[in-house]
Amino acid sequence: MFIMNAAIFIILEVAALGMLKHSGTLQDLWISKGIHTVTAKVWGGLESVGYYFSLKKKNDVLAEENFRLSQEVRHYRMITGKDYAMDRITVPDTTGDFRYLPATIVKLGNNSQHNYMIIGKGSEDGVAPKSGIITGQGAIGIVDAVGKHYSYVLSFRNSGISVSSRIGREGPVGPLTWDGRTSKGAVLSEIPHHINIEKGDTVYTSGYSSIFPPDIPLGVTRGWKIVNGSTFEIDVQLFEDFSALRYVTVVNNINGQELEELENR
Amino acid sequence: MKTSQNFGLFYFMLTAVQIIICNCFYLSAYVTLSILPVMVLCMPASWKTVPAMLTAFVTGLAVDLLGEGLMGINALALVPVALLRKPVVQAIFGKDLIEREEDFSFRKYGAGKISLAVLIMQSIFLLIYIVADGAGTRPFWFNAARFGASLAAGYVLAMTVAKVLLPEDRK
Repeated sequence: MFIMNAAIFIILEVAALGMLKHSGTLQDLWISKGIHTVTAKVWGGLESVGYYFSLKKKNDVLAEENFRLSQEVRHYRMITGKDYAMDRITVPDTTGDFRYLPATIVKLGNNSQHNYMIIGKGSEDGVAPKSGIITGQGAIGIVDAVGKHYSYVLSFRNSGISVSSRIGREGPVGPLTWDGRTSKGAVLSEIPHHINIEKGDTVYTSGYSSIFPPDIPLGVTRGWKIVNGSTFEIDVQLFEDFSALRYVTVVNNINGQELEELENR
Repeated sequence: MKTSQNFGLFYFMLTAVQIIICNCFYLSAYVTLSILPVMVLCMPASWKTVPAMLTAFVTGLAVDLLGEGLMGINALALVPVALLRKPVVQAIFGKDLIEREEDFSFRKYGAGKISLAVLIMQSIFLLIYIVADGAGTRPFWFNAARFGASLAAGYVLAMTVAKVLLPEDRK
C-alpha cells in the first residue's frame, strides 16, 4: 500500500511539475536548475560507487608499484657512492643478502594467542621455510610451512616468535616479543639497565637474525621497568596494525642455509 | 445527512468558491487565500489515500485552469496535503478514528484539535505553493512574511469551510 501511494504521489507531482515548467519562465528556469542539480548528484553518486568498487584493483597496482620502488631504494642505498646513474639500474629482486618478493595475505587468523596467516605465494614463487614476512612498518611473521602456491606464516603476534631488535640504529639489542594482550603492544627485553632510554625512541630490526634484514622500523618505546635488577623490559608500541594487513613482502636470506649449518655445528 | 453525495456536492461548490476567490479577491502580494487544504482534510475518512490524491490533483488543476494561476501550482501543492491527510489525522485525533473510518467533528474533538490539523495542512500547502510561485527569485523574508500572512488569513476561512464540510457539524 505504501509503495502504491508513493508511486501515485510521485507520478502526480511529476505531472504537476511538468505543467508548471511550461507555464512560466521563472518556474521553467527554476525546475530546470533543480533537475540539473539532481542529475549531477545522481551521476556523481554513481561515479563514486564505481570508483569505490575499482579500489581493490587500484590497491593491487599500487602495492606492486610500492614494492618496485622499495626495491629501487634498497638497491640505490647499496650502490650509493659508486659511479652509477639511476637510469642504468635494472631493479633486481635481491638486495644485499636478502631476496624480496611481494605477496598478498589470503587468510588472517587474528583472534587468539597463536595467530597465523596464509600468503598467496609458495615454493613455486621462491618462498622457503624460515623466510621473514615484513612490511614497511614492521616484521610481521616467519614462514613456517610452504605449499606450492601458498605459505603458512606464524604471525609476530604469537607467543613463540621473537625478533632481534635494537633501540635506534646503533643502540642495544634484545629480543622483541608480542605482549600477548593488545594488537599493537610488544615487549623488548634484555636491554642493559645502564642504557639511557627516551620515551618515543624508535625500535628497528637489528639485522643479527638471519631472517629479517636490518633497520626495518618496528615501533616506539612508551615505557619500561627493571627486571631482576639488571635489565630493562621495554614496552613498545608497534607501527603496524595487524588487523588491517593485506600486502606484505617475503624476505629470504640467500645465505640462510649456510648460516644455519654453521650454527648447528 | 452524512453521505458522500452531500460531501461531493459541497466539495464541488467549494471548488467553485476557490476559483472565485482566485479571480476576484486579491488582497495583497503577501496573502494567498486558499480553502483547498481544508477541503482535502475534511474528505470522508472512508476515502483511501490514492483517491484522495487523485481528487486533490484534479481539484488543483481545475483551480489552476480557471483561476488565473500558474498551471500545475495548486495541484503540486495539494497532492502532498492529500498524501499526509491520514497520518496527520491519526497523529491529532488518534488511531481509532482511522481504524473505524470515522469522520472527526467539532462536537467530538473541539475546535483546538481541528485548528491544529487545519494549520498543519495549510502550512504544508502554503510552503510548497509559495516556494514554487517564487521559483527561487524572492528573498526569504518575503516568502516568510507571505507564509505568515496567508496562514493567518486562511485560518479563519478554513475553519468556516471545515464547519460546512464536516458531516456531524452540518446538522
